[in-house]
Amino acid sequence: MNSLLIVTLWVLNILVDSGGHFAFKLAAVEPAADATTLEHWRHMLGRPWLWLGIFCFVGEFVLWLAFLSLVPLAQGVLLGMMSIVVVMIGGRIVFKEHFTRPRIVGMLLIVAGVAIVGVA
Amino acid sequence: MSLKKFYLLGFVVLIAFDTFSQVCFKMAATHADPFMIDMAWVLRVLGEVWVYGAIVGYIGAFLTWMTLLRHAPVGPAFAASHLEVVGVMIISVPLFGESLSAWQMFGAALVVAGVICLAVGETSAPHVHP
Repeated sequence: MNSLLIVTLWVLNILVDSGGHFAFKLAAVEPAADATTLEHWRHMLGRPWLWLGIFCFVGEFVLWLAFLSLVPLAQGVLLGMMSIVVVMIGGRIVFKEHFTRPRIVGMLLIVAGVAIVGVA
Repeated sequence: MSLKKFYLLGFVVLIAFDTFSQVCFKMAATHADPFMIDMAWVLRVLGEVWVYGAIVGYIGAFLTWMTLLRHAPVGPAFAASHLEVVGVMIISVPLFGESLSAWQMFGAALVVAGVICLAVGETSAPHVHP
């Protein structure tokens, strides 16, 4: 029961963390490039993405506290590194960002490391 | 101050702020024990002074990060922003009596190697925006 709760909280943490980053990125890239800073911010504040991002990070604050109640700090932080990989895969899908060789190697190392820390 | 010293100091300060935040999070979580999925727990944990320490650490890290980004290449800065994991692993031994098994240490080394690999990739990769 406890380990199921830990895995659930871990997945939720990764989801809201990467979700928040995507929402901020979507908010940032949406307006026309030639807009002034003020117009840019006004546009972002009137659209849902920025608020979704803020909602995600507020949620993560509580979810992270819950997660750390159940796992040791060092392991928790190591497992949290998985969101780097999720953000990169999402970046590839949503924003057509490139996978260079160092990026692929880095992602594989992180996935392997997180898997070992989680299982061992 | 030379540029090299500036980077080094900046990275160390960034890692210190992030590590401080994580320690505060753990302290808050420990003090608010036992964890329950209810509002009482949320209120209890948000009433812990440690939570606000974590926020201070985040603000410090954010300001350091923005200062660093004005001068430092994004690759090493990216790595520094995730290498608080090293600071956390070191400090959680004396502070929380945690210990990692040999396998977990190996996993941690892979994660750190992965982050460094990504940082090096960011430094050398051409920035193409399709």
